[in-house]
Amino acid sequence: MNKLFDRQLAKATRPQGGVDLDVLRELVVAAYDQAERDRKRTDRSLSLMIQELDQLNRKLETQVEERTAALREREAELSEQNRRFDAATNNMSQALMMFDGDHRLLICNDRYFQMYRLSPDIVKPGCTMRELLQHRAAMGVFAGDIDAYIADLDGCMARSETMDRMTELPDGRTVHVVNHPMAGGGWVATHEDVTERRRAEQRIAHMARYDALTDLPNRVLFRERLTEALAGTARGDRFAVHYLDLDRFKGVNDTLGHQFGDELLKIVAERLQCCVRETDMVARVGGDEFAVIQAGIEQPVDVAMLARRIGEAVRAPYNLAGNAAVVDTSIGIALAPTDGSEPDALLKAADLALYGAKADGRGTYRFFEAAMDRRMKERREIEIALRKALTAGEFELHYQPLVNVDDRRITCCEALLRWNHPERGMVSPADFVPVAEEIGLIVPIGDWVLRKACIDAARWPADIKVAVNLSPIQVMNQNLVPVVLGALAAAGMPARRLEIEITENVVMQNTETTMATLHRLRELGVSISMDDFGTGYSSLSNLRKFPFDKIKIDRSFVSGLPDDGDSSAIVRAIAGLAANLNMTATAEGVETQAQLDTVRALGCVEMQGYLFSKPRPLDTLMHLLEPQRPAAEAAPAGRVARIA
Amino acid sequence: MHTHQVCWSAARGWRVAGTDAGSADLVLYFGTREALACGTRFRELRAMFPKARIVGCSTGGQISNDDVSDDEICAAALRFKATGLKLACEPAPGPEHSRRCGTALGNVLKADGLAGIFVLSDGLSVNGSELVAGIVEAVGPRVPLTGGLAGDGAAFERTLVGADCEPASGSVAAIGFYGSAIRIGHGSAGGWDEFGPRRRITRSRGNVLFELDGEPALDLYERYLGEDEAKGLPGTGLLFPLLIRDPRQPDHDVVRTILAIDREKRSMTFAGDVPEGWVAQLMRGNFDRLAAGAAEAARQARSGLGETADREGLAVLVSCIGRRLLMGQRTMDEVEAAGLELGARMPRIGFYSYGEISPHAASGVCELHNQTMTVTAITEAA
Repeated sequence: MNKLFDRQLAKATRPQGGVDLDVLRELVVAAYDQAERDRKRTDRSLSLMIQELDQLNRKLETQVEERTAALREREAELSEQNRRFDAATNNMSQALMMFDGDHRLLICNDRYFQMYRLSPDIVKPGCTMRELLQHRAAMGVFAGDIDAYIADLDGCMARSETMDRMTELPDGRTVHVVNHPMAGGGWVATHEDVTERRRAEQRIAHMARYDALTDLPNRVLFRERLTEALAGTARGDRFAVHYLDLDRFKGVNDTLGHQFGDELLKIVAERLQCCVRETDMVARVGGDEFAVIQAGIEQPVDVAMLARRIGEAVRAPYNLAGNAAVVDTSIGIALAPTDGSEPDALLKAADLALYGAKADGRGTYRFFEAAMDRRMKERREIEIALRKALTAGEFELHYQPLVNVDDRRITCCEALLRWNHPERGMVSPADFVPVAEEIGLIVPIGDWVLRKACIDAARWPADIKVAVNLSPIQVMNQNLVPVVLGALAAAGMPARRLEIEITENVVMQNTETTMATLHRLRELGVSISMDDFGTGYSSLSNLRKFPFDKIKIDRSFVSGLPDDGDSSAIVRAIAGLAANLNMTATAEGVETQAQLDTVRALGCVEMQGYLFSKPRPLDTLMHLLEPQRPAAEAAPAGRVARIA
Repeated sequence: MHTHQVCWSAARGWRVAGTDAGSADLVLYFGTREALACGTRFRELRAMFPKARIVGCSTGGQISNDDVSDDEICAAALRFKATGLKLACEPAPGPEHSRRCGTALGNVLKADGLAGIFVLSDGLSVNGSELVAGIVEAVGPRVPLTGGLAGDGAAFERTLVGADCEPASGSVAAIGFYGSAIRIGHGSAGGWDEFGPRRRITRSRGNVLFELDGEPALDLYERYLGEDEAKGLPGTGLLFPLLIRDPRQPDHDVVRTILAIDREKRSMTFAGDVPEGWVAQLMRGNFDRLAAGAAEAARQARSGLGETADREGLAVLVSCIGRRLLMGQRTMDEVEAAGLELGARMPRIGFYSYGEISPHAASGVCELHNQTMTVTAITEAA
């Protein structure tokens, strides 16, 4: 301020000397005024600034409070989200982990600890993948090389590829491990215990290739093994296929029930497996069908020996919960590569051989022969022709009379089916009836026979019956009674003039249905005959099961008469039995007068055979029948026409 | 180089220090608008210095050595030994033409050997930032550019610039110095203290400021000045200079001087741009620190002269009118402080301006300053 005053003084000093006090006063007052203004301005500005800063401060405080509140809210939200996230991850069935780009664990759910029984002291955020794997290896829940695993993982992550593996743990569990790369480095790992699923898959795979009942390989696996074995034939290997089914198995099923049938199949499977070596294979390829691949055979005799062993094993009696059962088996054998170089060809050959074995009378084995194939073809041709024969009207009926041994009057005529094939001529029933039975044509053919025989018989004298043979299949058919009624009605013939001939087999089946059908027919007035008695089981018990009207004694007993003592004893016994049971005894195949005399002497009431008449067509039969027609009967044609 | 200080007062007319001043190459003169407006003083100078380029402008007070006066005209007549001169003058009809005006001046002066430019510009019809940018655009950033915007006391009505002619409004004069002998030292400093909160420029257009933090800028100034001093706006606005700063370049502060206000639009016009988004802060002056700022500017200018610092030369002091309005009778404190730094052999003339032009002390980029003291020191090496 001294400097200022000096300046003021200098300014107020007059050039000629002396101080102009007015000027000096003006300068000093101005300086004071300015200082006062400056002071006020400073005061004012400082006060304003303080106010402003205070306001700002408050505003900032409010902002801080608001933001703190917002942060708290956000924090609470995050904490809730974390809680949900934890709940979600910890309740997953999979173990879940997340690693950063430096292989450090970021998060890990509880399931991971449980799955591998790991220690939370080691496995925690920040620990490395390597530490984790080392811990797992120490706990026995990591199989493999740690370095190799990490190198593989790094490779996948570098290529942004997912690493997806099935891992077998030392404790037997299977774990599905997926390492999925994350954007920006690191990866998410999931581990899932798929042991149960794996086992289920294996079970399903097993079921697809193994038979559930016997646990033997099924047809699928059998074919696979067959294909493999055939591939081996290129190296000179030879093997055999044994194809077998069980004879009389159906009887076990029907009489004892399916439960016992299944039990028997299981025993058969065990027995078959005992028969073969480890290199062989036994498979169940159908209901009661089995197949064996016999590997590495040297001689056909080896094959025959196994077939015999199998036969013996199967034939040995079975004890099914106290029920004794016996079954037999037929075996068809095909040799590879001789009999076929393809699975289908080989199976077909074995099947044909089986068919051949059955044709030979069951309970035996047959090797495949080329002739079987030819016979099979023939049979197939018959089958095709048979299917057309009925509609083409190629069937016809011949009749062979049954005659009373005393007065030689015709009592009955047996209808015999003939097939007049356009090219082959007359085909024997022995050649086509089994085929028709097999393919189910026997039912419509049998129906036709019934109707035709009834219509024909309706023209005969009223005291002459007509006999119709029924196949076991027809008798089992529930439709038989309506069919018989329909045939009688169509012909206008009383039921008492119809005789049904059945074989012993039908009775042996002894099912409720069969018996009910036979009883119903008998109630209607139809007579029932036991045909060919003596050829099969000739069981007396079978005669007791049903009240037959007639027993027809097989021609094999009659042909030895009169000289064969055994035959005459049997014929006498049967005839005596028939008389006692109130049945008519009929001798079949009587060709000579001596035989006639003998059977009459032995007690037979009726006879049938060439001595009187061979089977003949209807028109020539009529010549035989007419003499027996009483004069009172009306012209037969008119009656038929009236009914039709 | 020879320097003759010249001064005029109503009582004593022209007085020239020393002899042989009549052969001067360049005369710089500064006076109040009232003293210069009639043109008589220019004609007298023309007669006194027939060979010289005569360039001058109106002011907010003249500096002559340690004295600050409102009455006298101060001038300096310079004779160079080995330095060429060129004078350019362009009209400046309004702030929107400032860049074009600068470019035109630069294009006239641009030549080999251009060593520096001293600019005197109209103080009200020019956007100083744009003017400087225009000149730099033409001559390149390496040519030092100094000078100032003419003043009109605290009136802010009309400023005058004369370049070899009677001073008039709406023009800009620029003197180019050529050759290897000339040495031009320059310095610029404020010394103001920032105070109060930092504010954001939320609305502006060019050099017109509308809002700070969403509030009319004029409201803020009126509040701080108080009712009495607010009546003196825009002049009193200089008591609170505005520091602005690009938030992307926080070290590069610029201070802006208020030129005008619009009470209806509640806007304030500054001598340079006030870009939206920049940070703004009020400043206030402490006499001692303002004087220290002037000394700092002088120190920078002297150091720029290198080995010629003690030779005969001239220092031109251009200081902001705002500093004088604040300091009043103590304005001489800053003039004396600058003089002490420059030394006894360096005569000093200058004026209080509406804006100062000088390279930025830190960045070296030539630009318009406000509320600063800038010092341009000229010597010759030969």
